[in-house]
Amino acid sequence: MAAAEAELNEDERAGLELIRESGGIHQSDFWKELDVSSRKGSRIADALADQELIQREETVYNGHNTYYLTPAARDLDFSLLMAGDMLSPFVGDDEVNAHSDTFSQFVMNLAYEE
Amino acid sequence: MAFDDLLEDPVIQKYLHELVGPKGMPVAAAPPDGEVTDEELAEELGLELNDVRRALFILYENDLASYRRLRDEDSGWLTYLWTFEYEKIPEQLQSEMHRLLDALEERENYEKDNEFYLCETCGIRFEFGEAMEFGFECPECGNPVEAMENTRLVDAMETRIEKLRDELNVEHGQEA
Repeated sequence: MAAAEAELNEDERAGLELIRESGGIHQSDFWKELDVSSRKGSRIADALADQELIQREETVYNGHNTYYLTPAARDLDFSLLMAGDMLSPFVGDDEVNAHSDTFSQFVMNLAYEE
Repeated sequence: MAFDDLLEDPVIQKYLHELVGPKGMPVAAAPPDGEVTDEELAEELGLELNDVRRALFILYENDLASYRRLRDEDSGWLTYLWTFEYEKIPEQLQSEMHRLLDALEERENYEKDNEFYLCETCGIRFEFGEAMEFGFECPECGNPVEAMENTRLVDAMETRIEKLRDELNVEHGQEA
């Protein structure tokens, strides 16, 4: 991943930074913010998505079809799944029960770690 | 070993441990490059074949490993060639973050909408309705139950909900 990032050109690097900083941006705003043409903006987004540095989802925005660009999942802060040294009890479980004993324990950990 | 950068993350280690358990962890923590058989893994890691198979199957069920079968022409035996697919881990943890967010939102509403009473002797918590039904006495030990503040819980949940929404780019109330 670091290797893929090191090979980005200047525009792609700026695009990636913008997507990471915003947390998510529509492609139609992306090229305007970057101050490049829409075609160039689209090429940059293509390149970043191909290298799996961002996620791209089709969406409708201001009445137009566009993409919503978000940072790759691997950039997320997974520690938000932890309370103290306890992992979210829903991991590996099909059911989400907000009233289970283990989830109560998780919430208690949250309250007493912070 | 493949996926080094992912495996350095303590949350990812915890996640794998949660899935495969302590006995499966040597298998889950050392994914080889390319394809591997269960026998090769058992040999290499010095583990029982059954423990290796169990761990591989759990990874398969969780979409983190796949296999293809080869039949030996002479013996008719099937060989399973396994591939670890840990590149899927970040997206799975992302969806775990969404599930956790949903549960926290639901639980926060419940905590805000109810009043609670606590039996300090037994450490049991009752909703207002339940406590009233029992005449504000603990049905286990008979001691009176006391009104219980849950502000600290609600605040802690609120803080984590905000962080998750921010990280996942979820607007308030977008997920129900």
